[in-house]
Amino acid sequence: MMEIGQSHIFGIGFFHTSIEASKMLISLPEIFFGLLAISVLSALFLLYPKVPLSFVRLHVGITLLPPIAALVALVTNNETMIYGPLRLDSLSWLLALFVLTIGFIVQRYSVRYLLGDRSYRKYFALLTITTTADSGVWLSNDLRLLLVCWGVTLLGLTLLIRLKKDWSVARNSASQSGRLFALGWLTLLGAVIWITQTTGHWQLSLVLTKSSLVQLDSWEKTCINLLLILAVVIPAAQWPFQRWLLDSVVAPTPVSAVMHAGLVNAGGIILTRFSPLLSGNLAQIVLLLLSGVSVIIGTGIMLVHVDYKRQLVGSTIAQMGFMLIQCALGAYLAAIIHAVLHGLFKSTLFLQAGSALHHREVPTSRTNQPKPIVWTITGGILGILVAIGLWISSPGEGYQMISALTIGWSVSIAWTQLMAFGSGSIGRIAGFSLFAGAAIVYNLVHDAFYGVLQDTIPKGIQPPALVVILLLMILLAGSAAAVWLSRHRSSAAYAVIYLWLVRLGEPQSELVESHPKHLTQSFFRGGHLR
Amino acid sequence: MSLAKTLNWEMLPEPLDFDLNDLVKSASSVIAPLGPINTFAARNPWVGLEEQPFEKVARWLKDTCDVDIYPNDSVFQSARDRGEIHQNFLENSIQHWLNSQSLELPREVAESFCRAALIQNQPSSSTLEVPELKSMAKKLNRFTSQMTEKHSVKTYSQRLEQLGRTNAAQELNRHMIKWCKLFLDESQAVWSMPNREEGFYQAWRKLVQHDPALCRKVRKQLGKLPVEADAALKEVLLSLEIPFSEIQDYFEAHFLALPGWAGMMLWRSQQAAEETSLLLDYLAVRITMEWALIKPCLPLPEKRNDKVNLEPLIAAWTEWGNLPINAWSQLSSTEIKARLALAYRFDKILCHRLLLEAWEKTYEDQLKTMITSQQPAVATENVKPALAQFVFCIDVRSEPFRRKLEKTGDFETFGTAGFFGLPIETCELGSNHTHNSLPVMFKPQFKVKEFSPGSESYQQRYQAYSSLRFTFKTMKNNLVSSMVLPEISGPWLSLQTLARSFVPRNAGRTFSKLRETWLHKPSTELSLDYTQKSETDLPIGFSMKEKVHYVQQALKMMGLTSQFAPLVVICGHGSHSTNNPYGSALDCGACGGASSGFNARVLAALCNLPNVRKRLETEGIIIPKDTVFAAAEHITTLDELRWLYVPELSVEAKEAFKRVQAALPKVSEEANAERIPKLPNIGTHLKNPKAEAERLSEDWSEVRPEWGLARNAAFIIGERRLTQDCILGGRAFLNNYNWKKDKNGTILANIISGPATVAQWINLQYYASTVAPHYYGSGNKITQTVTAGLGVMQGNASDLLSGLPWQSVMKSDEEAYHEPLRLLVVIQAPMEYVKRMLDNDHAIHQKVKNGWIRLASIDPEGHWESWS
Repeated sequence: MMEIGQSHIFGIGFFHTSIEASKMLISLPEIFFGLLAISVLSALFLLYPKVPLSFVRLHVGITLLPPIAALVALVTNNETMIYGPLRLDSLSWLLALFVLTIGFIVQRYSVRYLLGDRSYRKYFALLTITTTADSGVWLSNDLRLLLVCWGVTLLGLTLLIRLKKDWSVARNSASQSGRLFALGWLTLLGAVIWITQTTGHWQLSLVLTKSSLVQLDSWEKTCINLLLILAVVIPAAQWPFQRWLLDSVVAPTPVSAVMHAGLVNAGGIILTRFSPLLSGNLAQIVLLLLSGVSVIIGTGIMLVHVDYKRQLVGSTIAQMGFMLIQCALGAYLAAIIHAVLHGLFKSTLFLQAGSALHHREVPTSRTNQPKPIVWTITGGILGILVAIGLWISSPGEGYQMISALTIGWSVSIAWTQLMAFGSGSIGRIAGFSLFAGAAIVYNLVHDAFYGVLQDTIPKGIQPPALVVILLLMILLAGSAAAVWLSRHRSSAAYAVIYLWLVRLGEPQSELVESHPKHLTQSFFRGGHLR
Repeated sequence: MSLAKTLNWEMLPEPLDFDLNDLVKSASSVIAPLGPINTFAARNPWVGLEEQPFEKVARWLKDTCDVDIYPNDSVFQSARDRGEIHQNFLENSIQHWLNSQSLELPREVAESFCRAALIQNQPSSSTLEVPELKSMAKKLNRFTSQMTEKHSVKTYSQRLEQLGRTNAAQELNRHMIKWCKLFLDESQAVWSMPNREEGFYQAWRKLVQHDPALCRKVRKQLGKLPVEADAALKEVLLSLEIPFSEIQDYFEAHFLALPGWAGMMLWRSQQAAEETSLLLDYLAVRITMEWALIKPCLPLPEKRNDKVNLEPLIAAWTEWGNLPINAWSQLSSTEIKARLALAYRFDKILCHRLLLEAWEKTYEDQLKTMITSQQPAVATENVKPALAQFVFCIDVRSEPFRRKLEKTGDFETFGTAGFFGLPIETCELGSNHTHNSLPVMFKPQFKVKEFSPGSESYQQRYQAYSSLRFTFKTMKNNLVSSMVLPEISGPWLSLQTLARSFVPRNAGRTFSKLRETWLHKPSTELSLDYTQKSETDLPIGFSMKEKVHYVQQALKMMGLTSQFAPLVVICGHGSHSTNNPYGSALDCGACGGASSGFNARVLAALCNLPNVRKRLETEGIIIPKDTVFAAAEHITTLDELRWLYVPELSVEAKEAFKRVQAALPKVSEEANAERIPKLPNIGTHLKNPKAEAERLSEDWSEVRPEWGLARNAAFIIGERRLTQDCILGGRAFLNNYNWKKDKNGTILANIISGPATVAQWINLQYYASTVAPHYYGSGNKITQTVTAGLGVMQGNASDLLSGLPWQSVMKSDEEAYHEPLRLLVVIQAPMEYVKRMLDNDHAIHQKVKNGWIRLASIDPEGHWESWS
């Protein structure tokens, strides 16, 4: 009875949306690009000094419109459309929505946060152009357009890092990032030219057809793969290119937040887009190696450093490493989910970086009480059960094993923390509700992502089981080493590793200034002295 | 010179037999202790330098670390544009200064030179590049013999950097920042620095030999250091050949390189007995590192006392004295000497000093006119008794609120220091953290705890609440689970972000309401009665005698010893801001950077105790039975009064309470209407100041939730009647004082040594953050990062920043908001009282004499007297 009723309602709903969709599909992309153009124009308009500053409110309002259009398109559209040089499918709409939403949030945030800044107008213009171009990258089908958009995005980010150009540190950091971005962009250019010269197509959808791909020799494929990997590990700040992200901490807080909108996490998306091209074991191994090392280094930097923003970028390096591991294991869908959710997560953490100091207090029970053994053991068992369950559900997929490990581990920790340390019945009930709530929402969100993206994202080639097991070993060994080291803190090994991690995360010499002298100097120059 | 050095060492009987600790201690007077930022306590950065005149310190700091502590030209220019520097005060100071000099120069010439110098600021750089200038300077070279500049001692690394040979000073700072933050970390980094418990030097010594950031050679050198810090320091001083007479100066120069981190070490060394030698450790590490880094460059070329550069002096005369460059050759040698001497002595720092003094005098003049013109000819006795009395903190933000409150009804207000004279450490319900709720220069003597009989379930709820954050942190710090954490918490965080972006005001309020509903804090009591737990701990609560003592003292200090209204409200104050590392800087400065609501509650509760009142009667303070003391908190971000403690009210008090309740919304509205437009806004006119105030306090992207104590300029000690009709614009601290009730001057002395000193520290902190935002301020908020759970740094890494951020004193990058004026203390009392106070209190006398504070008095006849 229930089932019939539901399907009936669903049927009507489906009927409605399909009519609307057929009517709107013609115009929706046009509306979207129109709105995007308007938001760029309003940003440029703001640059004109005679425009009153209050226009910024209107401008921020305008930047909200494109993500809304993208959301509507994502909900109503479920087929792949090639629209001139663009490719409109649920993945590109989702990414546009993601990028533009963070763009809007950051702009909204900056209205107050940067109020009074010398380059207030310029900042909004740059921000709008950067996020617009970034969303363009993920909507492009024509590789020339993709390259132009990606170049504009990287240039925009470099200029944003350089926003406080009176400050030598900001200038140095921007030029360092700029150099690396240029390298990354040029490699991408090289890869693209190679592909198009061989296949004769500029359209990505045509390049990735089987008939085009067979034109590439296997060594060519491997080389292109390697170029692509180099092009993606730079923006993702993977070892050995992690420096730019670590030193970009000098940028204003919202700029660090906006980096997580399709910039540092671009790697996963590019690899997903090019996935039919990616095979070749060598490239896969290289990617796994770089990202595996990055996970370890990034986590290590996060653990030893004490500056809040540095911890955040350290964690970003590790997370991006994880995303690229997912790609290397062919789990592109998981990589996209990770990229999007981590982007939202990390940009929020950056935006609320001012709150890092409060709540330093540790609840009494954590320091005094011994761990209640029963709850800890239950947590362990629960974690193992979840992990086994997940693995059994699809044992053929290589990534599933990693996923099972991470989720099972998290379940066990969350359970122990929330339940074992909950004091009294209130604490236990609250802890359990939190645990259950988080689990339910996690499943809902993942189901939603799968529902939307399943058809658009191709499944990658499965890696050899040996690679997966090796990776699993690395993760487990890394954890074990971490535990061992933290128990042997007076050993020389600890000192050496500790100092190496400190060294890896510390800024370079020309990127540090003990006192921000530019403040006094710029005040002196720009003050009322005429 | 090098001979002199060796001689110096030999002259000492035993070169190594001197106590480094004494030298470190005296050198540490150039820095101020710096506590963690979440108990932001205003510190006067020059607290140890008040023995010297302001100008001298300014010159010394300019020379040692290139920091200007006078405002710059553009600040003065805009002050003058606003008409805040009167020409006649400037003229007076020129005359006064010229009188003190003996120059063989016609007075008019000298005067016009000085005048032009003060008005026109810097000589334009184009004059300095004329080739004739160089040749003329060469010609006049023989006149430099009378004028030599003695430079202060600099560190070797600074000198090397000045010579352009290495960037040793920068490198050294970078290494020190790293070691300090790792050592001092309180944010519970999962992998903390090993061996921290053995002290800074030991931990560093054991690690540095493995540090990959140093080259192998340096590491090797640092591998065999003495085990003890003082031995290492002595050894390195010897190898650097620092003459004994210069050791203290050398230490000072090292402290001033990173005053924030050194200040934090100083603060820590004052907290715990086992860390008292932390500063010595710091110097040992720093100077040893310096030695290791610069060793290849040793020995350094001799430093000389530089001859004065004549070029700017000649250029100054071209610019300000209408004397063309080639005219110098026609002048007599005495005149050349005199003119050069004048240009040399009337330098930029002196110009700025005179301008600042004229600005301060102009402000004093305005205040004087305002106060004296408003004076009723004969002091009329207060005919109508007040319905309710409010005791506020002296904080400048109380002044507008008090003014509005007094206007709405028969309410009387008082001003006194916000810790209400209670030297207590506070501990809130369910917390194991204590806070020293008193001015930072005092030590707590009692502990007051908040407790509640049925707090068990509150504790559980509180822990459930905090376990969420703790679980997040644990998962974040684990290699494996951190990979899934974004996917679990991402959706929740995005919801929060969207809410805060679209409806900042309501989102913030909803979140805090949810939190409050969940926690549901029960009504609490205070542990006021004496219990001593152990010898070492502070006693909890007060004995009977102490209760009476503190109540009596508090009432006397606020000048409320008779004519009690039925309702007396003790008002503390606190602020509410979101995502603001400087939230604590907006709280009560007299309570160590926290809300003074707790102290208000303690005092009100003590005043209501029947046996305290009985004892007070014997002391001559009669509180009527119907009088009830209540406590409230003035939320300065919202200009709202929130009740903290309302005991059972008598009939009259109930009536008064009702009237107060009815009046408060209007007071709030008017105070906001006056205050909110002063905050920078974009274009839109404010329809609803109250809603805007709420947004300011809840918006996570707000960098100026309120102006705090910016623009503070005066401290008025006197009766409220003196200033009742003045609109002081939130720039004055108001402390009640009636000299007639203070025959022996103890109350005045207490006000000066307590609240006035706190206010002076606040004032100088604002002053310093405005004139040297990069050094004494905290830099720009938008590029800061929180570090070590202690404070903030700028960009990638920097000194631990100590003062107020750029946004707290600046309206925008181009326009200052705070006016850097030194605090003007105005005392309403006969001259003899002020004189006696100055004679008895050496500290205040020194502050006034050396220009760290300004003093004026107004006698019973209404005559104004300037003591500065």
